[in-house]
Amino acid sequence: MRYWSILFALAAVFSIGAFVYAPFSPDWWLPNSANEPYHAVSKFGREIDSLFLIILWITGIVFIGTQIALVWVSWKYIDKPGSVATYFHGSQRLEVIWTIIPAAILVFIALYQMGTWAEIKFRSSAPKVLPLAEVTARQFQWVIRYAGPDGKLHTTDDLHLVNDLHFVKSAEKLEKPALIWLQSGDVLHSFFLPQLRIKQDAVPGLKIPVWFDCDRAGQYELLCAELCGWGHYKMRSKVTVHENQADFDEWMQRKLSEQNQSQIAAVAQGGK
Amino acid sequence: MISRFRWALIAGTVSLAGCGEMFDPGPLEYVDSPSLQTELKDKPTMQAAVRKALGNLFGPEPREIHVPVGSGLPMGGARLASHRHFDDGAKPQAFHVAVGSSTSTPGTIPIRGGFALYREHCLHCHGVSGAGDGPTAPFLYPRPRDYRKGIFKFTSTNTGQKPTRSDLEKTIRYGLHGTSMPAFDAMLTEREFQQVIDYVIFLSLRGETELALIGEAGIADEKDPNALSDEVSGEILRAVANKWKSADSQVMNPPIPKPESTPESIQRGKELFLGLNKTGNKVDCTSCHGPQALGNGPSFISQDVFNYVVFGGDPSTRGERLDAEAERIARKRFEMANHGSAHEPTADELKPLLAQIKKQWEDSLDDWKEPLRPANLNRGVYKGGRRPIDIYWRVAKGINGAKMPAHVPTLEPEKVWDVVNFVLALPYEPKLLEGATLPAAPPTSAPKVAQPKYDLSNTTLLADSPPPADPKAGNTK
Repeated sequence: MRYWSILFALAAVFSIGAFVYAPFSPDWWLPNSANEPYHAVSKFGREIDSLFLIILWITGIVFIGTQIALVWVSWKYIDKPGSVATYFHGSQRLEVIWTIIPAAILVFIALYQMGTWAEIKFRSSAPKVLPLAEVTARQFQWVIRYAGPDGKLHTTDDLHLVNDLHFVKSAEKLEKPALIWLQSGDVLHSFFLPQLRIKQDAVPGLKIPVWFDCDRAGQYELLCAELCGWGHYKMRSKVTVHENQADFDEWMQRKLSEQNQSQIAAVAQGGK
Repeated sequence: MISRFRWALIAGTVSLAGCGEMFDPGPLEYVDSPSLQTELKDKPTMQAAVRKALGNLFGPEPREIHVPVGSGLPMGGARLASHRHFDDGAKPQAFHVAVGSSTSTPGTIPIRGGFALYREHCLHCHGVSGAGDGPTAPFLYPRPRDYRKGIFKFTSTNTGQKPTRSDLEKTIRYGLHGTSMPAFDAMLTEREFQQVIDYVIFLSLRGETELALIGEAGIADEKDPNALSDEVSGEILRAVANKWKSADSQVMNPPIPKPESTPESIQRGKELFLGLNKTGNKVDCTSCHGPQALGNGPSFISQDVFNYVVFGGDPSTRGERLDAEAERIARKRFEMANHGSAHEPTADELKPLLAQIKKQWEDSLDDWKEPLRPANLNRGVYKGGRRPIDIYWRVAKGINGAKMPAHVPTLEPEKVWDVVNFVLALPYEPKLLEGATLPAAPPTSAPKVAQPKYDLSNTTLLADSPPPADPKAGNTK
């Protein structure tokens, strides 16, 4: 039945077709803001995307090549009545080639991505800025403690919010990313900013610095990317990137005055 | 599109059917209040009458929602649940929930209604009837709120009054810190918040009306067919609904704004907290919150007994753990009272000691008969909110259903603000209460359970306070 090879060919064509289609659909492609579906809004995001594309090209080409070879072999060398199989001990040259080529590709990818990894994850590359906030992941919400006007955490002017992350776009901050300290109040969670391509596990007992940048003001999302319990889906937070520092300061002042509300008349029912 | 999901559903069902341990959430029906059985034990007719009256008022089962006339809830039903009209205008207040309807067109957000939202987000903790008995409830401390008593803890209204809608909205929107109630701020739309609030009030109304009907049935004659007539049950419902309607007029607004948090104000607050103030009325904070405000005052059962009983195993065997602990403490106290004599206490000798410990445990329960802890004020975690006005409300009018009492008018508003300033400063100034002790011992000679430092090397789980006569007795067993 050489027609089985057609089925395998079709499976391969569907897989490749899905990847060919994906870039043309914002729903299938990488998570970006709705206004600019093909523009990653952060510097790290663009680096990650370029790494992703390189790997997609390499694996795509290899996939197409191996599928063509597989389908061709299963078509051509189909079992025929009366045909006799030949036995041989293998080809050392072929084995060396198909070991060295993938190994070289892997080494290339490993070396090529090192810079990006170091820039996003190494503590030594953390930006030398005052922390924006301390983010505590807990079942099932993001508890965010902003450093407040004095820029220092754990002082009386800290702003306490839940599921509401705000920062200023990077062009206004001399291209410096925003820095948070991430911790967990209970189990493993993962701090995931899909549009900014940042993902970092929150590990109980550790305080982990996380930095991220964004060059478009707007609304984004913060999600939990580690199944943390029955309410995992509830760990969804608004992310607001402000156009400039003055905007951000104005927002913080407003939130602080809500937090300091001491009479109903002060903020007419607004602090609810 | 639909067929693709249908195939996935079939494939999923087939593959799951093999597992044999599919989670069964149980039937979607209201549970009876436990007092229906206890209060009306010998009155089966009255039990049936209560169920019938409740079914008439609120609907016989969760999917058939009757919004009672005069309840203050939206009559159209659109905000309460995703209902259809139930019976051709004969009863305009009766609506039936459209089950399994997915008529939404792409691009529009379906208005799902409070019942649907409640089932999705709230039911697994708060339960079908709002009894705080959802499938995840036994794993949580504090336990999810049982709305049926109509008591809500964190309100802006006067002591014992219903919360306003904005109080409930604040709880749902921002969660309750230090509890398992999460924040739904980013999950729901403005309209959905109102729908969920409607449904929570509906469940609370229903539960409180049920309790009132049981009370009425309890004093009624078993043979009286009109004991719970429509007029009587309608009257009972109106009394409950009026409490909700009057909530907005019951909001407590502090008469003066919070003064500057000066060291003097904090110091005055500290003196009030410790009962050291020389002038004015004294308040007693330390007997519950403890002299270091760690939430370990002597009025409450000690932290390690609490931890052992509440967190030491299966929640359903709490009673057994409490009995075992009480026995241990009683023996220890007996030993210490008798200066470590080798003589084994008899059952009669243990009895008063046991009763005392059980009493202390009973005193440490809230109105839902759930074990309670006073807040540790050093952590900066405030369940009812951290705004000064929130803490003012907690101090001034107490916490409904819990042991925190009201302190207005015992304290003048400016003194309450001093306490608020002190409470807000405490997490940032850990030395504020260094070395503070309980105020002079009250005249009663009842032995208090001491608050030992949590020490794993300590072989006795319960270090009890040594009697003053023999300081060595409390060291080891």
